[in-house]
Amino acid sequence: MKDQLKFYLVPVILLLFSMQSVAQMERERVNIVEPVETFWTPTLISQATTEHLSAGNLNVTIMHSFGIATTNPIQNFFGFDNVQNVRLGLDYGITDKWSAGIGRSSLFNVVDFRTKYALLQQNSSGSKPISISLKADLGIVTQQNRQPFKDDLTTLTSAIISKKVNEQIRLQLSPIYGYFSSVSADNQTHLFSIGLGSQVNISDRFAFIAEYYPIIGEKNPNTKNTFSLGLNILTGGHVFQLFFASTRWHLEQYAMAQNREQFWAGDFRFGFNVNRIFGL
Amino acid sequence: MNKSKHILLSFLFALGIVAVPISGLSQSYITKSGHVEFDSSVPLHSFTGVSDHLVGKITLNDSIIDFYVDVNTLKTGIDKRDNDMLKTLEAQKYPFAEFYGKIVSDFKPIGEQPQKVTVEGKFSVHGVSKQTTITGILKKVQKGILVEASWTLNMTDYNIKPPGILFYRVSEKIDVSISATLTPN
Repeated sequence: MKDQLKFYLVPVILLLFSMQSVAQMERERVNIVEPVETFWTPTLISQATTEHLSAGNLNVTIMHSFGIATTNPIQNFFGFDNVQNVRLGLDYGITDKWSAGIGRSSLFNVVDFRTKYALLQQNSSGSKPISISLKADLGIVTQQNRQPFKDDLTTLTSAIISKKVNEQIRLQLSPIYGYFSSVSADNQTHLFSIGLGSQVNISDRFAFIAEYYPIIGEKNPNTKNTFSLGLNILTGGHVFQLFFASTRWHLEQYAMAQNREQFWAGDFRFGFNVNRIFGL
Repeated sequence: MNKSKHILLSFLFALGIVAVPISGLSQSYITKSGHVEFDSSVPLHSFTGVSDHLVGKITLNDSIIDFYVDVNTLKTGIDKRDNDMLKTLEAQKYPFAEFYGKIVSDFKPIGEQPQKVTVEGKFSVHGVSKQTTITGILKKVQKGILVEASWTLNMTDYNIKPPGILFYRVSEKIDVSISATLTPN
């Protein structure tokens, strides 16, 4: 009887297979391993982040800082009457890991060239738990002066280490070295800092951001560690950044060298950055 | 063996005999790397999203067409726009855009001339299914069957709110096209 059953069951199994071939396929998700988004912008407020532009993307940035908000606030309309510095910048993703850019700050007419490379990118699978990028910037004072060109140069090199802790919190630490080819008496030619940065997402559209530049070793006389606190607003095509900052600079080496304001003493200014990415 | 058992087994055997040729005829073609793209527009600007993770299957004997793509694989070229798109599509909750239907026009399984075919079935995205008719082309190629089709979908039909900021809004109509070479399964 068993043999007979086997004999009859074979064609039935074949039938089942033939029926299976016309059934709807089982839906399977694609396992995508890609870099996680650490920060929303390649620049936190003035510090570079580990966020990189995709190859072929152009990021246009407009950065503004105004006068001290707490000095004669009514007469100066909280500092808005005194535009201190505007930096217009273009950054281009040469590859998904390497970008280069140029910018011009209205303060001292500093033109800067910069590049950033991703050594390691935290990924969605967790196999790479942190991101590490290297950044270099060359600043040139183009305002007319009596000093030779070689004295108009500053450079910055930094290693940027970041981690997306969870969906809300991102942290960053950046050893920064700034070099000034010419300095006035008592000022430092070499400046070091461990830049600290963070972003705390409060929704899909809004995030708090903060950055701090504690100087390691000698700092320039009468300067203070730069601190900034801001709000990111993501609007699809743009990221707007509204912030309060002690420094009027949008370049790290100058933020380390020339900030004379103490944020927590109330000496802060309003500023905002606009980031717009174009796919070329 | 009593009579009723004999009748039952004979029936199963006969069913099996019928099934064997059906199984032989149910030649199916499959791909896991088809191409899908969509064109979307905002005022003064348009962009294209693409994925090469289109999965598809065509079963010739009963003209069944079954395609799906994990929408998380769609890329528009700008990461932030991708993130916005996936949030709009609620891609974690509804990861697939899919079509399951049948060829309803005349179709000759053999022949190297491109054949215009009409398929009817359900297209689903964002957790909403709609009966849809799509016109496409099937062509026998060396590796199997080439499929090309395109149609326009209206986002509001699928409860997708076109994203927009301030004064501009993404157009409700999205042009979708697929292209895939399916090989014998």
